[in-house]
Amino acid sequence: MKQFIKLRVNGESYEVQVEPKRLLLDVLRDNLGLTGAKKACDFGNCGSCTVLMDGKPVLSCLVLAIEAQDKDILTVEGLAKNGQLHPLQQAFVDHGAIQCGFCTPGMLMSAKALLDENPKPTQAEIKEALSGNLCRCTGYAKIIKAVEAAAQKMQGVN
Amino acid sequence: MTTSNLDYLPALSGFDYLAPKTVKEACSLLSKYEGKAKVIAGGTDLLVSMKKQQISPQYLVNIKGIPRLEYIKYTQKDGLKIGALATLQSIASSPIIKEKFGLLSTACNKIGTPQVRNMGTIGGNICNAGPSQDSIPALLVLDANLKLVSLKAERVVPVDKFLIAPFQTALKEAELLTEIQIPTPPPKSDGCYQWLTKITEADETLVGVAILVTLDTGSICKDVKIGLCSVAPTPMRARKAEEVIRGKKLESKLIEQAAQVAAEETRPRSRADYRRQMTSVLVKRAINEVWQKIK
Repeated sequence: MKQFIKLRVNGESYEVQVEPKRLLLDVLRDNLGLTGAKKACDFGNCGSCTVLMDGKPVLSCLVLAIEAQDKDILTVEGLAKNGQLHPLQQAFVDHGAIQCGFCTPGMLMSAKALLDENPKPTQAEIKEALSGNLCRCTGYAKIIKAVEAAAQKMQGVN
Repeated sequence: MTTSNLDYLPALSGFDYLAPKTVKEACSLLSKYEGKAKVIAGGTDLLVSMKKQQISPQYLVNIKGIPRLEYIKYTQKDGLKIGALATLQSIASSPIIKEKFGLLSTACNKIGTPQVRNMGTIGGNICNAGPSQDSIPALLVLDANLKLVSLKAERVVPVDKFLIAPFQTALKEAELLTEIQIPTPPPKSDGCYQWLTKITEADETLVGVAILVTLDTGSICKDVKIGLCSVAPTPMRARKAEEVIRGKKLESKLIEQAAQVAAEETRPRSRADYRRQMTSVLVKRAINEVWQKIK
């Protein structure tokens, strides 16, 4: 039985009609047209569906849309402000941290949550924070470098 | 070799969604829909099983809306009390757990990924009762008890009596796990958790070893507890190995002997030889690590 639910995504309110079995990932992509979060493994192993819920990285493929009500959801589409890329996004571009781009939204969300909580992470802390996001292209080195660079930029070091 | 998930598209069958606001209401619903309902907390195990069509409950009872089930409280006298809805991440990063029950923090930090730890709860982890779950050996050596609540009664069950078989627990149909109770370890105690993983996308634990050692004066081992996971149908205590060390002075030959006995106590299903060998390696390393810490 479908029911109306209100979702708060990237600061905007959306009302959608969904069955309880609909997952947040599918509602974001199919109902709201926010296709940044990706469906790859769909079992909670790859992290490509990662979004932030009340500031914490979660796997949207394992969150029922109905459970996401009354939460602040941030997707990759919510990172850029006024047409300007977030420092993390810019750093990913500048450091060659993007190849096919499929893991990138998830990586960015995990990295954002890390820097929000820990503005000066060590390399080990970056690796730990990104350990739930798999990448088949890059070998991770440039991704880690990009997060380090973004952290420095955001601290005003560069 | 990997299992193929490509034979079918992961899809959920339809269900009715219920969101009780009290434990009583939750138990009431579980009783009313006995056999047709499943509790959902973090959902990281449940929804995966449902997507794989291993189970298809007609009712999901979401208990995350029940207040006062998510907490970490500690007093010297009453020990540690963890609400069943405490996330694995909150346990991994809790300062008091890191300080006084460090091995539990280490174990919970190993589970899954950061995302899974933000969503998954300790209650859900225990009730899932997989043979290779990292939290359980730590709870076994810490003598954890579980508070189970139903409409008519409350009971407290030790963790090792709660686990019956792979993915089977002593939880009754209309019962809810509400709290994990861990006594303060005796003075001059310390522990650790060590593990090896399979090399897969999920890094499941291949062998997990939790140790709690209590020293008397001069390296005499007053007590030792050894908890193992992924080497038997359920996580287990290596009680014969414990007997080897208990009451004696710690020294490397004794530790090796205990490690060997622990390996022989295991009942691994697959990769048995390697798991037994690695049990003895990790038990030896873990006891040595703790011994160095408390010395």
